[in-house]
Amino acid sequence: MMNEVILKAENVFYSYDDGKTHSLNGLSLEIRRGKKIAVMGANGSGKSTFFLCCNGVYRPSEGTIYFHGKPVDYSRKGLLQLRQKVGIVFQDPDNQLFSASVFQEISFGILNLGVPEEEARKEVERIMNEMEITPYRDRPTHALSGGQKKQVSIADILIMKPEIVILDEPAAALDPKHTVLVNQAVDRMTGEGITVMMATHDVNYAMEWADEVMIFRDGTVAAHGVPEQVFEDKQLLRETNLEQPAVLQLFDSLKKKGILKEELPLPRSLGALLQEIERLPSR
Amino acid sequence: MLIIDKLSYQSKLRYVNAGEKFGFSVATLILCVASRSVLLGILVFAVMGILTVWKGGIPLWRYLKLMTIPLTFLMLNVVILGLSIRRTPLEVFAISFGNWYLTASKETLYYAFQIFVTAMASVSCLYFLSCNTPMTDILNVLKKLRCPKLLIELMMLIYRFIFVLLDCAHEISISQKSRLGNIDYRTSLKSFGTLVSALFVRAVKRSGFLYDAMESRCYDGDLRVLCEDHPPKKKEILMILCFEGLLLAIAVIVR
Repeated sequence: MMNEVILKAENVFYSYDDGKTHSLNGLSLEIRRGKKIAVMGANGSGKSTFFLCCNGVYRPSEGTIYFHGKPVDYSRKGLLQLRQKVGIVFQDPDNQLFSASVFQEISFGILNLGVPEEEARKEVERIMNEMEITPYRDRPTHALSGGQKKQVSIADILIMKPEIVILDEPAAALDPKHTVLVNQAVDRMTGEGITVMMATHDVNYAMEWADEVMIFRDGTVAAHGVPEQVFEDKQLLRETNLEQPAVLQLFDSLKKKGILKEELPLPRSLGALLQEIERLPSR
Repeated sequence: MLIIDKLSYQSKLRYVNAGEKFGFSVATLILCVASRSVLLGILVFAVMGILTVWKGGIPLWRYLKLMTIPLTFLMLNVVILGLSIRRTPLEVFAISFGNWYLTASKETLYYAFQIFVTAMASVSCLYFLSCNTPMTDILNVLKKLRCPKLLIELMMLIYRFIFVLLDCAHEISISQKSRLGNIDYRTSLKSFGTLVSALFVRAVKRSGFLYDAMESRCYDGDLRVLCEDHPPKKKEILMILCFEGLLLAIAVIVR
């Protein structure tokens, strides 16, 4: 079950200007159910375009997207089904929130699924509680802070009970407190078995959080694998302007000096590495 | 307008059923305009003012300041309506300019006064509604009154994006100022021009993004949303009916 491919792209091309330049350039990848995937890569490397292909807002000019093994059905009904299952939390909440009332905003998605009003009302209440929106639910959207808007925009998507949630740089422009809140929400999602794809530039977070890391370059996937493996490739990281995670650099240098044993598995976070160091006998 | 928006979210009457508030202010407004009675106007002006300031908790000085906005326009109107320029002087006073007189009669003055009172009373009705009812609630009432869907959806989106685009304009303007974009009159004119065009481009872009985001949430051409209802209270409705009845009675007697 865990290794079932839920979303697959096969040689996908997409162009915003009728084929002169391609935002997606023969992109192929597979996403497995229940995984946490960090999507990295420079601005303009095709991440956001790919995301909008995932839920059928953009239709590839060539190549196919498969959802649950079946090619995406671009009929009205097919798209509705796909979009319920694949939710996108956009980078700028101001581009996503269309209503001045938080309650109205969150109810939009679930009503589009044809859920009866009474049930929808209960769901909105539930999700507002879960996302800790209740304290500011009566405020108009334009009076919310950036972090609060982000919480609402995540609730927007979660209420539709998606199988895949795509977050486009969720931590961009958030303060530490709201970054933690967003990360907690993401952990809850993965706890519930939702597959999460997150665009991020934070290599340290990707190293700690992700099951898989994907690096986009010029509309194709330059690397895809477990973080330990992807971040080991210094050449690629240089080419894509990424840095090695701090924990990896520190770990390598400690091993080189003979302070840590060669056979020690690579810890994912700085905290875990510090614990390893704590265990060493003091000199 | 932004101040009214802020006030409406802080008002103590915010959670009173929006239909009640809408019905109350519109019915009063209609009675007021239809009767044009000075007595009625003064009564309505006082009641609406007291309700907004005392019951709604809108600060008095804010309310008075808001009232000065229509006052300027009204004053001009009153002068034009109350005074006339004629060859023959009228009874109240007359200032001569050669063969012509700037003059007023009791009737024209009373007429101007009547218009003034009615207009101020009407404004106070609308202020009562807009200072105590958030825009989204007013839209919900319009929806229940079967206003065309397209109109309501448009108003909903426009209302939201007024704030988004204002923020945007504010940011552009600050970034222009920090690069001396308003160093002299010519430059500031030019800066304003670029601000407007940049804002337009961004608005178009944003509308594209918004459409993508809405499509991602299964938008199919109908903007379906749930409204939070605050049920109407019998006592309040009864009081509104009594008040409107009283106004109607006064209007009929004065006639």
